[in-house]
Amino acid sequence: MAATVDIAEFTLEGQHKSNRSNPVRWVISHSIRQWPFWIVAVAGAISNALMASIGPILIGQAFNAILATPAQVEKLGGIAILVVITQGSRGFLQLARNFGFEVIAQRMERDVRNELYTSLLGKSMAFHSIQPVGDTMARATNDVREVNFMFSPGVNLVLGSLIFLVMPVIIAPQFHPSLVITPILFIILYFFALRRYLGALEPITDEVRLSFGELNTRLSEALDGIETVKGAAQEPAEVNRFKQNAKRYRNAAVRQGDVEARFIPLLLLSLAYGFGLLHALILYNQGILTIGQVVAYFSLLLMLDFPTFTSMWAYSRIALGLAGARRILELMNRENNLDQNLAGHMGPMVGEIEFQDVTFAYENGENDLEHISFKVNPGQRVAIVGQTGSGKTSLIRLLNRTYDVSQGQVYVDGIDVRDWNLEALRRGISMIEQDVFLFSRTVADNIAFGKPGATQAEIVTAAEAAQAHEFIQTFDQGYKTMVGERGVTLSGGQRQRLALARAFLTDPRILILDDSTSAIDSATEDKIQRAIFLAARGRTTLLITHRLSQIRWADLIIVLRKGRIAAMGNHADLLRESEAYRRIFTEK
Amino acid sequence: MGFFDGLDAEKYDRKYSDRALIKRISQYFRPQAKRLGLILFLVVLISLIYSMLPVTVSRGVDLIRADRSVGTILLIPGLVIAIGVLGWSTNWGMRRLLTRMIADILVNLASDAFQAATVHDLSFYDQISSGKVVSRITSDTQDFGQLVNLLTDVTSQFLEAAVLAILLYNIEPRLSLYLYALIPIVFLLAISFRKLARRATQQGMRAMSIVNATIKETVSGIAIAKNFRQEASIYQEFSRANRTSYRVNVRRGLVLTIVFPMLNSLGGVATGLMIYLGGISAAQGIVTAGAWFLFLQSLDRFLFPVMNLSAFWTQVQNGLSAAERVFALIDAEPGVHQIDAQPVETLQGAIDFEHVVFAYKVTEPILEDFELHIRAGETVALVGHTGAGKSSIAKLIARFYEFQGGSIRLDGRDIRTFNLRDYRRHLGIVSQVPFLFSGTVADNIRYGALNISDAEIGRMAGQIGEGEWLETLPQGLKTEVGERGVRLSMGQRQLVSLMRVLVQQPAIFVLDEATASIDPFTEWQIQRALELILAKSTSILIAHRLSTVKSADRIIVMRTGKIIEEGSHSSLLSAGGHYAELYNTYFRHQSLDYVERAREFVVSSK
Repeated sequence: MAATVDIAEFTLEGQHKSNRSNPVRWVISHSIRQWPFWIVAVAGAISNALMASIGPILIGQAFNAILATPAQVEKLGGIAILVVITQGSRGFLQLARNFGFEVIAQRMERDVRNELYTSLLGKSMAFHSIQPVGDTMARATNDVREVNFMFSPGVNLVLGSLIFLVMPVIIAPQFHPSLVITPILFIILYFFALRRYLGALEPITDEVRLSFGELNTRLSEALDGIETVKGAAQEPAEVNRFKQNAKRYRNAAVRQGDVEARFIPLLLLSLAYGFGLLHALILYNQGILTIGQVVAYFSLLLMLDFPTFTSMWAYSRIALGLAGARRILELMNRENNLDQNLAGHMGPMVGEIEFQDVTFAYENGENDLEHISFKVNPGQRVAIVGQTGSGKTSLIRLLNRTYDVSQGQVYVDGIDVRDWNLEALRRGISMIEQDVFLFSRTVADNIAFGKPGATQAEIVTAAEAAQAHEFIQTFDQGYKTMVGERGVTLSGGQRQRLALARAFLTDPRILILDDSTSAIDSATEDKIQRAIFLAARGRTTLLITHRLSQIRWADLIIVLRKGRIAAMGNHADLLRESEAYRRIFTEK
Repeated sequence: MGFFDGLDAEKYDRKYSDRALIKRISQYFRPQAKRLGLILFLVVLISLIYSMLPVTVSRGVDLIRADRSVGTILLIPGLVIAIGVLGWSTNWGMRRLLTRMIADILVNLASDAFQAATVHDLSFYDQISSGKVVSRITSDTQDFGQLVNLLTDVTSQFLEAAVLAILLYNIEPRLSLYLYALIPIVFLLAISFRKLARRATQQGMRAMSIVNATIKETVSGIAIAKNFRQEASIYQEFSRANRTSYRVNVRRGLVLTIVFPMLNSLGGVATGLMIYLGGISAAQGIVTAGAWFLFLQSLDRFLFPVMNLSAFWTQVQNGLSAAERVFALIDAEPGVHQIDAQPVETLQGAIDFEHVVFAYKVTEPILEDFELHIRAGETVALVGHTGAGKSSIAKLIARFYEFQGGSIRLDGRDIRTFNLRDYRRHLGIVSQVPFLFSGTVADNIRYGALNISDAEIGRMAGQIGEGEWLETLPQGLKTEVGERGVRLSMGQRQLVSLMRVLVQQPAIFVLDEATASIDPFTEWQIQRALELILAKSTSILIAHRLSTVKSADRIIVMRTGKIIEEGSHSSLLSAGGHYAELYNTYFRHQSLDYVERAREFVVSSK
């Protein structure tokens, strides 16, 4: 079983436990659950190959019947009917094989994605704040899709063609035992050649992908920034760079073409035809084989073309699928470093905050925060200011345990946040991030996200307080308007006010607002000011803000520089003490 | 082929007549004439060689029955092997040539397309997004390359089938007619299947895109869901989408997997018939046993090209329209016309708009009979509502667009007589969303002036707030900015693009100020950088910040393409005209006065 200890924040009852120790085992542990379809698919594959090899035998019999003296024409009808039955039925058998594997593949995709998703839901906030959404998306769509393709067409064709490869070996002894030599030799050489082919191809296709990626990235950058390129008169330099990149890609593509052109199994196939025929003719000459059997044996060898042609790409599908599986597993197996702390403190929160000599560093990184100490009384408003990278975001994330401190303590109501029950802690703290995420649901559902049973009246009251009611009213369907791609698009400021409305409903004791919206016009600014003011009233509020008015009127202002507190106090204190602070409040 | 059918026709797209298109394409093949000739020759050779395989075996069957000598026994397999080796090596040589020819053609085509894309003025990019231009330069050229590949394959398959068809007809017309009769049946089946498959695929893709959107949303929403402990609810949503995706895909899979088995069944029935009919003919002595075997072996070789043929025409069309899109990009007429290419050694920076007429679209004039005179070294701020024509003025100075009437003069010289690249070296332009290229901060700063040393950049960077902004970059000037500068904050990106102008020391500085919110400390440093630039250049500022407006020597107030007021901040404000209105709308909340009164305002309003 999996090596990681499961301390997930979310689990699903009765979910299949897969083997996560390595990609192959993991894929197998998922795929054996589809055993009924495996039976259908494999039965289809085997019987199809069997029928395919019966064809040559029947052809041989037909030849013998006609070439007999006198010709036994009456036998011909029966043989022809048998051919129609056996070969005609191959369609259904093939369908069973192809569709069987298709269903397995689709089910794998569904189950694997489901497992990945539940695993993601179980991960800590820290995990999600480090893990980029784009990367997760790539794994939940592309990589999961690769696992699908690994089975259909990958395993389907590989397995199907392997049986075709083996069939001549099984059937040939019917004519003469020694006739297995050619197909067996072919199999050995075929795998040897295939290994070399795939081995030679792999680094080259990597280089093709890499060089194309580089070409494409720089190209889209240059065209996106065409105004900058033109403005700086850099067109010739960009064209040169493009030509260099294109040349590198061209060389890689040519090398790939060369390897593909030199596909040895195709040559081996012709050799197998020739030597097999020679062998059969020698036996014919010795009177051991009839001419019909020679024809049958040669037709049997023609079956080898299927594995020969499919191998050009079917095996790499499996390799790609396993690579995808490895990436998915890697994500699922990454450790969680926080747990729910179910036994922790659960009482009602008052909202007092204290940082005691807090130092924080991301995993094996430089210190992001150093020796931070401050205290906030319940109901106070704190503005945290500083440049990008000064540690503002890290500081607020320590409070709701998105991260844990490296040294020092963070207290809420005098209790170390690590001693709080995680759910109780987070229920008491509402955090509104820079990019407010809204679901493709109605406006009302989005506001009520944290309090599913909220009444319409409660929702409207919250929206009014957040100064969102007015713009919601301008939508065609008011609170029932869908948000997102299938509905209205909202500006950053509007999103922020919906998030504030959310906070009004859940009524947290501590509100953290990472505010980076900018009002285009003064009327909107008035609304934002009012919304933030109302949201902060009656609760402890931590604001990361660029708004001078919010900074000006905060009870406590913390100026961060390079992860340390550069200055702290109220407006009057800071005007006196900090040169940097004075500068930003000087009108030009 | 790629799924780029979704690319809409663009305004500048021209329809090429078939003849014109072929002529245009053949220009790219001309330098490859020798290779092309050799490839064609080899393709014919390959088809001839491979069609000899079934012929040799079937003739061999007849021969061996008549003559069992060791010579015959060695001859026939020897021929089979010779055909195999010869066919394989000819194919190898042909593929090597083909892959080189296509690669070289694509490099030339893509380079020409990119070169053309850099020459086009910005009105071109208003019509077509840069993303679509990228796909023309990469995907469309590749689609065209695949067309060439496809043509070679199909030609070779068809030649092979044709050689056999002729041979079979000569051996026995009636049996071969039976074989030919299969062709339309298979063709019709394949065509009707393609329609079915396309519909299933389209439905599947549409369903998939919805599902993908839901998955994307539920994945991005995980963090929020956790914040509010709503994991179960979001899981339900995900699970529903995931199951829908499964159902749609299984249905699509069924349609797509059904075709080959169906055709194989048909092939099986045809084989049975051929055994019967051919056997009878052989018994009657109309054909030899070997010929009968040849007919049997030929069945597959007929069916597959015909099946491929049903898809062939669409693929050819896709490939040709891809080529057409690339040529349309290359051949699009430039919008900006220079009448001369005089060198621009130095520039003082005096700018005169005289009776200028300008419109993006003929029906919507932006500037009419527009007059503006800016002295060398002057700093001018343009203010007005969106659509007043502020950025048009900036873009005309940068010569990104063509104007329709009047004249624009720099130091008294007509802007149309300049060597454009020469001229733009004297311009420093910072757009509203500052654009950085992947590379280091230093690379980006010297983008317009390559010969600036690191030391010089360091010195310049230190002039802004004692270089405080550099301390927020993990590796200082050597920090990688990421694709399009994503690793830097908006404020840092603005600083870098201002630094770019600072080291370039242009005669004319054009700034379209960003509206993004920036922390007050960075904002202050941006202000310092601006001051340094303004001191040395003639500056045209499209201002969104109150402080920037105030730093101008002259504020020009615009409304619907006309200058309606000008003067200093205080004089305009006290005049109580349009500027006062603009101030109340856009700038009031940026004043310190507003900051001081925010508290009482908020408290009193509730």
